[in-house]
Amino acid sequence: MSLLAPLALALASLVIPLVVLYMLKSRRQRLEVPSIRMWEDEEQYVSASLPWQRLKVTAALVLQILALLGFAFLLARPFFREATLLGPHTVLVIDTSGSMATAGRFAAAQAEARGLADDASDAQLISVVDAGPRPRVVTAFSRDPATVLSAIDGLAVGGGGEDLEGALRLARGLATPDRPTKILLLSDGGVEGALLEPVSDASHILFDQVGDNVAITAFGTGVPGEGAANMFLEVSSFSRRTESISVQMLVDGLEVGSVDIELAAAEREQRVVPVDAGIGQTVEAVIVEADDANPLDDRAALILSGAGDLAVTVTGEGSPFLDALLGALPGVHPAVGEPPDVVVIDGGSAAEIDRPAWIIAPDPPPEGITVTGRLDNPVITFQRPGEPILEDVDLTSLAIGEVQLLDLGPGWLRLVTAGDVPIVMLGEVNGHRVVYFTFDVVRSNLPVDVTFPILGARILDFLGGNRLGSAATATAGTPLSLAPPPDGSTVVTKPDGTSVSLEGNVVEFADTAAPGTYQVDYLDASGALVEHERAVRQFAAAEAPGSARQIATTADDTADAQDATLLREWAPWILALLLLVVLVEWWVAYGRPSPWRRRSGAGAAV
Amino acid sequence: MLLEPELRARLERLSLTNRRRLRGMWSGRHRSKQLGESLDFADYREYNPGDDFRRIDYNLWARLGVVLVRLFEAEDEMPLQIVVDTSSSMEFGEKFATAQRLAAAITFLGLAAGERVRLVTVPASDRPSLRGPWARHVSSWPQMEGFLESLSPEGGTDLPGAAHLMAAAGAHRGPVVLVSDLLAPGWEAAVDLLGSLGGGVVLHVLSPSELDPDFSGDLTLRDIETKAELPVSISEAAVSRYRERMQSFVAEASARARRSGMDYVTVLAGPEALTAALRELVAAGRLT
Repeated sequence: MSLLAPLALALASLVIPLVVLYMLKSRRQRLEVPSIRMWEDEEQYVSASLPWQRLKVTAALVLQILALLGFAFLLARPFFREATLLGPHTVLVIDTSGSMATAGRFAAAQAEARGLADDASDAQLISVVDAGPRPRVVTAFSRDPATVLSAIDGLAVGGGGEDLEGALRLARGLATPDRPTKILLLSDGGVEGALLEPVSDASHILFDQVGDNVAITAFGTGVPGEGAANMFLEVSSFSRRTESISVQMLVDGLEVGSVDIELAAAEREQRVVPVDAGIGQTVEAVIVEADDANPLDDRAALILSGAGDLAVTVTGEGSPFLDALLGALPGVHPAVGEPPDVVVIDGGSAAEIDRPAWIIAPDPPPEGITVTGRLDNPVITFQRPGEPILEDVDLTSLAIGEVQLLDLGPGWLRLVTAGDVPIVMLGEVNGHRVVYFTFDVVRSNLPVDVTFPILGARILDFLGGNRLGSAATATAGTPLSLAPPPDGSTVVTKPDGTSVSLEGNVVEFADTAAPGTYQVDYLDASGALVEHERAVRQFAAAEAPGSARQIATTADDTADAQDATLLREWAPWILALLLLVVLVEWWVAYGRPSPWRRRSGAGAAV
Repeated sequence: MLLEPELRARLERLSLTNRRRLRGMWSGRHRSKQLGESLDFADYREYNPGDDFRRIDYNLWARLGVVLVRLFEAEDEMPLQIVVDTSSSMEFGEKFATAQRLAAAITFLGLAAGERVRLVTVPASDRPSLRGPWARHVSSWPQMEGFLESLSPEGGTDLPGAAHLMAAAGAHRGPVVLVSDLLAPGWEAAVDLLGSLGGGVVLHVLSPSELDPDFSGDLTLRDIETKAELPVSISEAAVSRYRERMQSFVAEASARARRSGMDYVTVLAGPEALTAALRELVAAGRLT
């Protein structure tokens, strides 16, 4: 403990005059009586006329000396050093992704951030960055604790993924040359590979609370049946015990059925559930009576969208599986007497690509690609996360008999690889979208996988220009595209029921971190409803496992971080002690029954 | 208003008595030291020229051969003087208000009985002087009440000087009612003189806190009348000794009053003081 103003201790010398005052005789209280004649004999009991008296150490004297010493000590401003994470300017990057909803991680992060904001002195600036799917600066360079606390409290955990890299980029952008900036990342670490490590100039505060969790990790349209939509449902367990759950299916809010699923620990179950729903209706899957670590991933929704006709032709060898797939997909029909919109090249020549194509182990491959060899029984090692084509599809357990070894030019995006060997790629050939499978589907277990129709639908959706997909259904955090009428306005009702009015020139609504259904109402200039539409934002499945990991950083190694200490004064404690002393003194003086205390009703005091 | 109408109505049913023969200027209802014209036979004496023939007892003249005239008791008025102490010491507590009501009650009793009543105050001055009106009929009550209400306690008092002046006015000899706290110097001589005028009553007005002080500690006591100050350390023992001195003072005042032919009543100032004092006077035979 040290003192900021040690000279103030000199005030403790006031104890001397205080003691002197106690040694001086007190002035007597005057009291009027009808006559002093009867008291004259008592005058002999008055002590001598010396101004001094023997010092009597009373409780009041001790308390007053204590109060005086405490006051001097308070003015000397004692303090102690406390290690702090804060710097002259601190950027709090708070993860609001879906995984932070697991087991109270986000609440703990908010509490930690609030504590840091409370610890900040007047000279320390604080900025807050929301590290959600769309990072944003909530407040910048604030020295007002109320503003910072308000910004922290205004954050909410969403259902989207995190963009830690983007958030850190924003945080680094807040650095100013005149003031060292420290970045604190309050996060569970995000998904593996989402961040280039080690992260420099930042410290990571890990929130790794865990709990048993069951999640809907995939929910999409499957192969439509007769008059009904087949919903693809994947439920995953991140629990350490066997879970028996019931998934309720709802269409436009009305229950239409349920699915009972028993999940062993760390297992997942995929089901195709027929639902009597049509285009434009909202289908929801809800894990009922779920009591798990993350409530956000217990519900998923989808708006069945209409698909236009897509003419598809198959060249090459073809296979019954492809025929069955194309025949089952809604809005897809063989190109007969018309130019195809999409061509599927199954083992045939892909030398000339003049339209979007799904190329499956072609021979020869498209221009710019050379087959250098073949590899038997490759093991899938990587599936690119967050890829729309692979949404709800897991190819990591795909068994393949043989793949082509290719010499690729630039511009190809590898979605699935086995080591360095590409398995599934995206690219463009002659300006047309191409999905490239380097293996023969027939020589793999893909056709018997429950996700094959989903994958096929996603691929044709991509190649057909998203005509089969639903722009209204996306991962939480994906902005809503708005098309307000001229001179009109837009009202967006969020899943929690709150509404936001937007001016007519606003064409995007970005506050979509909360998973659920968004109602968009377009109003004309008079406020009358012109049109309305719905959109669904789904919980990001990658966040469901709730994995946590410490992010390697380099900030802790810096000298600044090691020397970062906070001067914390004892003033509040001393003030509390002084108040207690004063209260006790008051009680001693007035509150305690005393034989010397003057009773009420005595003679008139002068 | 010092006396409420209901209280005055009750007081009208009481009357003052006097144990001594009076020597008043005018006839009244009380036995006089002189012989007079009443119906009560007193004595015989030899006839002297000029005596009223109607008083000659002819039966005795015939039987004894001596001319004797019958003498009868005389009845005089009772001049009642009420001395009210207006010194500053009476300001303490409710002493003066109590004194006003006591004096008012005695005054009304006398007026209701047709006595000559005088209210006397003794202003503090270098030369003793008396101040106060005489009245004889109950119709004078408003003036007497107004005089009493106009009084206020201030300054000192010269009780012995006042007593000397009253004794010097021999024509008004009669009972005196002294309403005082007897804290004035020379009160003993005053009581002796006033008692010699025709007896009477000492109404010794004291505050309850005077008899039983409720303060303690190191204090400077200030005499409300003389303004003198006295530093004292008042302990429980000192209070106990004070109580003993007060009891002695009260006992001495009582004894002095009785030696002087006056009755003595200690009145504790307060709302019930008048009722208690009247009850004491009835018990002492001063009121019937």
